[in-house]
Amino acid sequence: MAQQQPEPARAGEKYYFLIRRLHSLSGLVPVGVFLVVHLLANATVLAPGPAGAEYQKSIERIHALGPLLVPLEIVGIFIPLLFHSLLGFAIWFEAVPNAMQYRHGPNIRYTLQRITGGIAFLFILYHVWEMHWMGAPLGGGKFALHDSDGGPAAAVTTARAIQASVWIAPIYALGIVATVYHLANGIWSSLITWGITIRPRTQQVSGYVCAVFGIVLSLVGLGALRGFKTFDLTSDGVEATGHTTAEAPGP
Amino acid sequence: MKFKVKILRQDTPHDGSYWQTFEMPYEDGMNLTTVLQRIAADPITVDRQPTAPVAYDASCLEEVCGACTMVINGRVRQACSALVDRLLAEQPSLIEMRPMTKFPVIRDLIVDRSSMFEVLKRVKAWVHVDGYHDLGPGARIPPKQQDEAYPLSRCMTCGCCVEACPQFNDRSSFIGPAAISQVMLFNAHPTGRVDADARFEVLSGSGGIAACGNSQNCVKVCPKDIPLTDSIAKAGRDTTLYQLRKWFGS
Amino acid sequence: MAKQHVVVVGGGLAGLAVTMKLAEAGNHVFLISMVPVKRSHSVCAQGGINSVNPLTRQQGDSEWLHMDDTVYGGDFLQHQPPVKEMCDWGPRVIDLLDRLGVPFNRTPEGFRDQRRFGGTMFKRTAFAGATTGQQMLYALDEQVRRWEARNLVEKYEYWEFLGPILDTKGHCRGVVAQDMFSMEIRPFAADAVVLATGGCGSVFGRSTMSMICTGGAAGRAYEAGADYANGEFVQVHPTAIPGTDKLRLMSESARGEGGRIWVPRKPQDDRDPNSIPASERFYFLEERYPKYGNLVPRDIATREIFDVCVNLDLSVEPGRLCVYLDVTELSAESLKKLDGILEIYEKFQGVDPRKTPMKIFPAVHYSMGGLWVDYERNDATGGLVIGSPRNQQTKVPGLFVIGEADYQYHGANRLGANSLLSCIFSGLIVAPTIVNRLKSLPQGSAADQPVSLFDDSVKPHQEWMNRLIHHEGTENPYKLHQELGDWMTRNVTVVRNNKDLRSTLEKIAEISERYGNVALSDKSNWTNQNLSFTRALGDMIRLAGVITEGALLRDECRGAHFKPEFAIPSPDAEEPAALREQAGVWCKAFKAKGDRWLKTTVARHTPDGPEFHYEEVDTSLIPPRPRTYGLKGAEVIEQVWSKMGVGQEGPAERKVAVGGAPK
Repeated sequence: MAQQQPEPARAGEKYYFLIRRLHSLSGLVPVGVFLVVHLLANATVLAPGPAGAEYQKSIERIHALGPLLVPLEIVGIFIPLLFHSLLGFAIWFEAVPNAMQYRHGPNIRYTLQRITGGIAFLFILYHVWEMHWMGAPLGGGKFALHDSDGGPAAAVTTARAIQASVWIAPIYALGIVATVYHLANGIWSSLITWGITIRPRTQQVSGYVCAVFGIVLSLVGLGALRGFKTFDLTSDGVEATGHTTAEAPGP
Repeated sequence: MKFKVKILRQDTPHDGSYWQTFEMPYEDGMNLTTVLQRIAADPITVDRQPTAPVAYDASCLEEVCGACTMVINGRVRQACSALVDRLLAEQPSLIEMRPMTKFPVIRDLIVDRSSMFEVLKRVKAWVHVDGYHDLGPGARIPPKQQDEAYPLSRCMTCGCCVEACPQFNDRSSFIGPAAISQVMLFNAHPTGRVDADARFEVLSGSGGIAACGNSQNCVKVCPKDIPLTDSIAKAGRDTTLYQLRKWFGS
Repeated sequence: MAKQHVVVVGGGLAGLAVTMKLAEAGNHVFLISMVPVKRSHSVCAQGGINSVNPLTRQQGDSEWLHMDDTVYGGDFLQHQPPVKEMCDWGPRVIDLLDRLGVPFNRTPEGFRDQRRFGGTMFKRTAFAGATTGQQMLYALDEQVRRWEARNLVEKYEYWEFLGPILDTKGHCRGVVAQDMFSMEIRPFAADAVVLATGGCGSVFGRSTMSMICTGGAAGRAYEAGADYANGEFVQVHPTAIPGTDKLRLMSESARGEGGRIWVPRKPQDDRDPNSIPASERFYFLEERYPKYGNLVPRDIATREIFDVCVNLDLSVEPGRLCVYLDVTELSAESLKKLDGILEIYEKFQGVDPRKTPMKIFPAVHYSMGGLWVDYERNDATGGLVIGSPRNQQTKVPGLFVIGEADYQYHGANRLGANSLLSCIFSGLIVAPTIVNRLKSLPQGSAADQPVSLFDDSVKPHQEWMNRLIHHEGTENPYKLHQELGDWMTRNVTVVRNNKDLRSTLEKIAEISERYGNVALSDKSNWTNQNLSFTRALGDMIRLAGVITEGALLRDECRGAHFKPEFAIPSPDAEEPAALREQAGVWCKAFKAKGDRWLKTTVARHTPDGPEFHYEEVDTSLIPPRPRTYGLKGAEVIEQVWSKMGVGQEGPAERKVAVGGAPK
């Protein structure tokens, strides 16, 4: 066993704790907060009024950041996300899950945390390829804030991507639920990691709170998905936009 | 009445393992250490083949020494307190015994748990007293503090918690719940806390507190009901505070 | 010039105590143990550890009274200087344990709490829940680990002691031990060897002792020339739970916290015990021993259970010695202090003892006897000369014995919660003895012995092992052990008589003969537990002989050794003058018995079996007096006895009450 080596002089040793704490933090603050904002913004597609108008507005609000948007996105989202994911895989590699053997809530959730992390990672890769301008060179990047005429295109391009095949909505549904689970359970777990919930009783209460949070956020995400899935592309009479605008990062 | 016991055997650390089944006449109040004693006295398999007695670790037989820990019907526990009645109620056809999977097998059901004791050295799991000469009584301790220390102090180093822990294995350097809980025990002791920083250093290091994944199997399988997850959460908090103190130089 | 080494065999409380003391003084220790030391039998001690404490002191208690209770409870069979020293050290031993982090129960003000134990009127027993031995062992284990981390202690766990290495002069120069995994046998040269290998419960088959308490090490030292003393004194604990593999202790602390022992007045009353009204319950200890109640010394409680179950046929379960131990009326607070043991009952019996009275049985529990060890009396204090090379040393120079393995502290019966004290005390005081020995020896006196001494010491063990592995015999060691245990339990425990003892001796001889024809079912050379057990069985048979013959020879009743045919009949007259006359006769008989039998039994090994002789007991501090717990006419006997002027000063209790403890 690794334990038998006393005080190994590993490179990761000195920063081990810092790195692991950053892993926990990165999942919560930039990435977790972004997920909430993102799903809430997407849910505006369900808002009453002209189809997609509210959604268009909420995305435009984000894009108001102008030239700051791209660096902010890279530093605030992509780098933490990549850090969280890659370290997450390293952590997963260290685990030997045994939820079939020791079947009880926390252990099942522990195992799901790893599985949903993996699903979320693959899903986000797919999602970024499909919607984000970075995916354009590879045939993705289908989202556009405006059409070539400068008209609103956010909802239409998104809906078109979602409706392109019958498989896409279920993939999104799975991706959203897995990602939200990963966040909600991650919050529960990090409350312990950071020593905020200590007694079993408080951990149980925080478990309920996180469950409610996760369910609500899932419903928000799935609601948005349903909004795009049922978005009426024909009545709108919109024609296909042949290209995306370069300054329009995906939702 | 008779029942069957299936045991995963291994002759030496270098040999492969194999299953062997024995048939036992039932006795009132029988536990698994009795089963192993009966096998030792009469080592004949269910196919009437003579075999070597099953090697096993056991000492107190009343679940205070931790020696006879093994995986029974898929769950890690002590053989002495595993009563045949209850095991058959759990899984009627047969009882399955195998050595713990997180430690090297010596022979049959005996494993080498010395790594667990080595970790106790790393975390300085002791009270550093000046000496063993007479210096009067120790510090006065409020009953509430004793109430918290006593359960942690009952850890037998049996290995159940690490056996069930998905984070403890040969791919990870996790020190395991037992050692973390010992850190919290000694850090709470009025004299023991003199080494607190050294212990936090170990908890901060590779395989320290941050390697816990909160599967909480440890607390579920602990035969002494030690509040291991309380210790882990506190250790998480205290180690973070320690590191913050260290970074801010106070 | 080679470095000096000490070998300590056994890592229970006694072994760890001497190890940490020696390491503290800078000595290198090889610590050899059959199990990882943290799994030693000391973990099974539940109730607590005795010493005078500030509370009892203000109630009139003193070290002297602790000694008085100890020797009175032990029926005066122990030498008093070591007992005095032990009782004097009691408060310091507990202070030390307290500093080492033992989580003793606390009073609201933060002081150590105490409970009352058997054989005393004072609350002398400090405790950590109901797992005091475990907690104390862990504290010492941690200390030894501290020295191990500094390379002063080298542990050899899963190694078995096979025998001492004696030079041509008969001095101990080390030990031979075997790796229980690889089966490698090797010598360990040492300038002093300490055995701390516990009791020999396995001689009785099942007992409250751990599987490792075979008496193997003691048997091997005895065979090598260390005398064995008072072997016939074996404590049968009144309260245990029977199991198919062992008998599990139900601590005296259950009674210390207020638990009561009773049987239904109607024989084999099969009603639910909770539904039996108080008037139909026979609280026999409370009725017969109004002073001590449920907390009479263990030998007495056990005999009363025997009497109630056998002679009055009131056993709860027919054919066994079974009575109720009832803690259902205790407060939640008291029950919490007993959690550790109530948990054991619940786990193994499947019944919650907080709600239903426990069914308990007597079981072999402790060996008062053990390897004979010496001491040097300090005439100024009446205690020991600390650091004397004689303390705890066996008849083999350089070989020391401590803890339950020695015979020194408990006489004919041990009081509850005195064993933890004697284990740690003997471990602590043998350390200065060994330090002085090392200083007085020329450097490396062991390592500089001829190599052949060590090489040759291994050979017989290796040959024995090879022979046994290949031996084709018809006897099964486990079945032979069971037979031995059954005979010993039936005839050499609570009540003994010469006829059965004689037949048991014959049986032991037969078993010994059949032992020569054992065959192993495991012929392998790797982790052969069969071999280790069979070797220990040889020692058990040898010790069974010592115990049984010692019991046969001792024609009296003393402490745990009870032979009704030699009991002095209790006075039974109603009329005062007649009672007084009977008391006079009783006292004369008692005096004659003391003159004849107040002696240490010493067994010496010879190829033809044990050779017995008897040694005077040092009773210079507290003159022996009749042990009259619950005896009819006790007061009259005590009056008559004190007038007989046998102990010129009369009972010590009285003396101390007036003058305080001589220091």
